[in-house]
Amino acid sequence: MRHGLPSPYEHSTLSERDIRTLVPTEPIRIRPDINLVKIGGQSILDRGRPAVYPLIDEIVACKDEHKMILTVGGGTRARHCYSIALELELPTGVLAALGASTPRQNAWMLQMLMAKHDAIFMVYEDIEKLPLYLRMGCLPIMTGMPPFDWWEKLPARGKGRIPPHRTDAGTFLTAEFLGARSLIFVKDEDGLYTADPKKDKDARLIPAATVNEVLDMDLGDLIIERIVLEYLKRARNVKQVQIVNGLKPGNLTRALAGEHVGTIIRAD
Amino acid sequence: MSRLVGGEGLSRTHVENPLMRESLVDRDVLASTESERVFAMAPNVAVVSLGGRSIIDRGASALVPLRDEIVENHRKGQQIIVGVGTGVRGRHTLTIGLDLGIPVGGLAAVLGAVDEQNLRMVMSILAPYGGMHLIREFLGQLPMYLGSGMIPVSIGQPPYRFWEPPPEVGQHVPFNGPDVGLYHLAETIGARKMIFLKDVDGIYTDNPFRNPDAKRLPDRISVKELLAMDLPDLPIEPAALQLLQNARLVKELQIVNGLEPGNLTAALAGKEIGTIIHQ
Repeated sequence: MRHGLPSPYEHSTLSERDIRTLVPTEPIRIRPDINLVKIGGQSILDRGRPAVYPLIDEIVACKDEHKMILTVGGGTRARHCYSIALELELPTGVLAALGASTPRQNAWMLQMLMAKHDAIFMVYEDIEKLPLYLRMGCLPIMTGMPPFDWWEKLPARGKGRIPPHRTDAGTFLTAEFLGARSLIFVKDEDGLYTADPKKDKDARLIPAATVNEVLDMDLGDLIIERIVLEYLKRARNVKQVQIVNGLKPGNLTRALAGEHVGTIIRAD
Repeated sequence: MSRLVGGEGLSRTHVENPLMRESLVDRDVLASTESERVFAMAPNVAVVSLGGRSIIDRGASALVPLRDEIVENHRKGQQIIVGVGTGVRGRHTLTIGLDLGIPVGGLAAVLGAVDEQNLRMVMSILAPYGGMHLIREFLGQLPMYLGSGMIPVSIGQPPYRFWEPPPEVGQHVPFNGPDVGLYHLAETIGARKMIFLKDVDGIYTDNPFRNPDAKRLPDRISVKELLAMDLPDLPIEPAALQLLQNARLVKELQIVNGLEPGNLTAALAGKEIGTIIHQ
């Protein structure tokens, strides 16, 4: 016999289409007051003190007015480790586990720099303690990498073996889960360009676009992980992201205040 | 490949390597990392999934004979990782959770607790024969567990939890469930086989419990053919079929009726019973 509980799902596999006929309530926003700010790895941390210190001053100055979680990217050391792992023919899941270590290093270093301003390092399991940390006036810092590790999704065949969910995607998913007020990616360019401005002098800045507009441009390179665009289209809570240049003082402050200073990509 | 480059003033300090300065979003850079060969870490292992609703929710009548069959095969030298599905308590969890407005990441996180219950029960009845809890943080110790004759038991739900990606527009429940979680484990370790024990003889054109006209599909079918049929109900998660399309190591999966004694033994021995979906 099968032990069943009364449930609309009782007799179906979860893959079954008729579960879509259920009409669930809208998902709640768990922390609608919080801002997610991702500090780039290669773009900010790898530049060392001249880039990081002014940004820290700015974050500290903003932190009492704007509740935020800082997440951090990986950067060049992650690339170095991926290169060796690829040579060893290790699977994407192992690359993802390797890729998790570098942003964690960066998050630890940022936490040490900002500990005197009540920054705390938050592991994945700590996210449920967020209300306490915020009440205490803490500034939670966590890795941007999502906890996928060996379960990292595989790119389609022919599209390479680099993990598609890295620190942009992880930060996006954190913001989506929490129903965050805003999601800001702090990088080293003024926003999304038609090509990589570090390599192409003719690259033009795109100050604002919808996801579909960006996808229609069919850009070979992007300043944000490609999968974030896909998730932005489907997300229930996050309706836009902003990419700002963190090397220019004041940009993050203005973005936190709701100003349009970089590129805003909207869901529609 | 070990020199540091740059770093003057505001410039970035790089570690010299083929991906140095590259955008890991650039399509061409990504494509250059493709390789036909991927290293398999545990090539002798078969991952055997016990369906939640289809096997575990049936209780002792289904689980005890299967436990005995797993133990017997393990005694004969098969390396086996047992995985558990979620089942009806998961469906109840979703019903309550959706009604309360829990976002999809929250639903994915709480669903895992049902798998933990199933894991503890299955692990307990396997314990005298080497059954043990495979804790994800200790996956690096898998060679030791297998080498010392243990039968690791894993939960099915992948570890995405609060970070579960948003499902397709119009859908509300987590896209990634225990089928894809276990298959993903098999793929990453490069397992020999992925076997899903369910309560049907394979894949039918519709749910055979509800539709008496449902017909069995051929014993072997490609994932492309299967998806093109656009069937109304499948005994396996769409996310697992998506992974099958992208898999580099475990390029087929087998759906077998675990309620029939001997089926698991036959599948482990390489017999083509049930339905095999291949890349």
